[in-house]
Amino acid sequence: MTVCGYDLRVLLMISALWLSAVQVSAEMAPLGDEALASVSGQGGIYLSGDISINELGGPVQNSYFGRCDEADKKCGARFAYRLKEGGGWMVLDEIKGLFAFEGLTLRVKTVDSGFGGDGELFNRDVIEIGLPDSVRFTDVQFKIAASSTARPTDPGFMQTDILSVEMQGDVIMQGNLLVFPDGNP
Amino acid sequence: MTVVEVYSDETLSCQSVSLRSPFGWVVAMICASAAPTHSVAELQQLGEAEMSEIDGAGIGLVLDNFTFSHGTDRPDSAGNQSRIFKISGIKSTDGRDVDITVNHLYIAGANTNYGENLTPVNLGRLLNPWRIDIVDGNKIGVADKAVLEFAAPSKIAPTEGFDCMGASASAGSGSCSSRPASGDWIGERADMGMQMNVAVGDDRSANLNIHARSAVLDGSYIRLWGDDQRRQMAGQFKLNFYSPELSINACAQDGLACGSRITMSDFALELAIGNSLQPVFFDVDGTGNFVLEVDAIRPPRPGQIAANGLRAGSNGQTWDFYANYYGDPEFRSNLTIGNFSVGDRDFGAARVQGMLIQHLKIQTKDLAP
Repeated sequence: MTVCGYDLRVLLMISALWLSAVQVSAEMAPLGDEALASVSGQGGIYLSGDISINELGGPVQNSYFGRCDEADKKCGARFAYRLKEGGGWMVLDEIKGLFAFEGLTLRVKTVDSGFGGDGELFNRDVIEIGLPDSVRFTDVQFKIAASSTARPTDPGFMQTDILSVEMQGDVIMQGNLLVFPDGNP
Repeated sequence: MTVVEVYSDETLSCQSVSLRSPFGWVVAMICASAAPTHSVAELQQLGEAEMSEIDGAGIGLVLDNFTFSHGTDRPDSAGNQSRIFKISGIKSTDGRDVDITVNHLYIAGANTNYGENLTPVNLGRLLNPWRIDIVDGNKIGVADKAVLEFAAPSKIAPTEGFDCMGASASAGSGSCSSRPASGDWIGERADMGMQMNVAVGDDRSANLNIHARSAVLDGSYIRLWGDDQRRQMAGQFKLNFYSPELSINACAQDGLACGSRITMSDFALELAIGNSLQPVFFDVDGTGNFVLEVDAIRPPRPGQIAANGLRAGSNGQTWDFYANYYGDPEFRSNLTIGNFSVGDRDFGAARVQGMLIQHLKIQTKDLAP
């Protein structure tokens, strides 16, 4: 059966979904300031993932689009910063590779004990970043270089590569990084 | 029937919405999405005067129960190294590629037995953490500048601190704030070390092992700011490194045969490059080469120093300026080794003390044709 050209069963299904959703929202009631003040969040984020930076030249590799082994095409990211007005550039060049990690956690907690007696004196909140037990590096590479221009395509480009670093495999990184405000404003 | 009551403020009353018509549902949804309005309404703008009184503190960082290890395990099924940490891009003078392969790099708790048993350690104390901060230059001798500072835990009064070397030092024995490991606390002093080898072309060296036990970096910092006259980044670098035992030895590639261990006990390095009067400058020149420079000191306002060098008879301000330059122990670099030994032979103590860098210029040069 159709209504205005629509199948009635579809309309009924949509209505049922709407109704169930609406019943839930209809029970929401505003919270007063006092009630809100007594609510504290169960904070925390758990992150897993992998980050790939210009790893192999991207989804297309042919004679026109990026292929990393060709001399006139560059695959890595480039980060350049200048140290003097009118001077040359320090460069992190050809940054590429893949980092994968499992179980990076983020939460806020109060430290009021432990730390060889420091916790009790400290007695404040910290942001706790739980490091993943291991981070997998796959063909991670970068170069540290000094360059006369910001971009390799700029006129007069000259660059001296100081060193390049290549990393591969699992890196064990255990523990928690605690971040908190410190120092005299 | 649809009833929508609108109050004098911007919120709709969600309880009074009838849900018997499509319009009612839409209003209910708007109500649900408008719920955050309650909290937004309580934010108030700050005026300029109020904003100007707010200062940010720096960031303190502590690594709790921390272990770091990157190393080469046994080769994978194809016979390749499963883990690689390689530094390359350097060429020898005859044009062959030089690469440094780091087989193992670790930072872990005390008593690792040269990296064999990795246990956790804390780096930085909650009451004296690693810091990233913008500090007032007037307080550290860099006039009228905001200075970006990355700092290790600072040193503290010797009445409260711990001896920088002692692996079982107690409170009140020295100026380091990081504590050694004890029976009930893992401590803030890390064992760190690396194994690496160097290849020039096809010639690969033996593995070189460097280990530092119970190392402390307290009092180290990097400070960066902009110099107006040279319109350039200026900095001040201080590295303090204390370890009761720093050792170096070489082993065959398979790790079976090792040479004698060179051991430097009670190793203390206090290296200062650049200071508030003579900052270190970083630059890249027009041909793409890196330049690091500590310029000669800028003379103070003209004033005379008496022939006998005493303050009496000299211009007071000028004399004080140079007295500060020559006298401040923070400007000086020191290296002391309690005992230097190779295998079972002792060579005794070594000291380089009070070194003041008065001019330094390092420039990279590209040897590639």
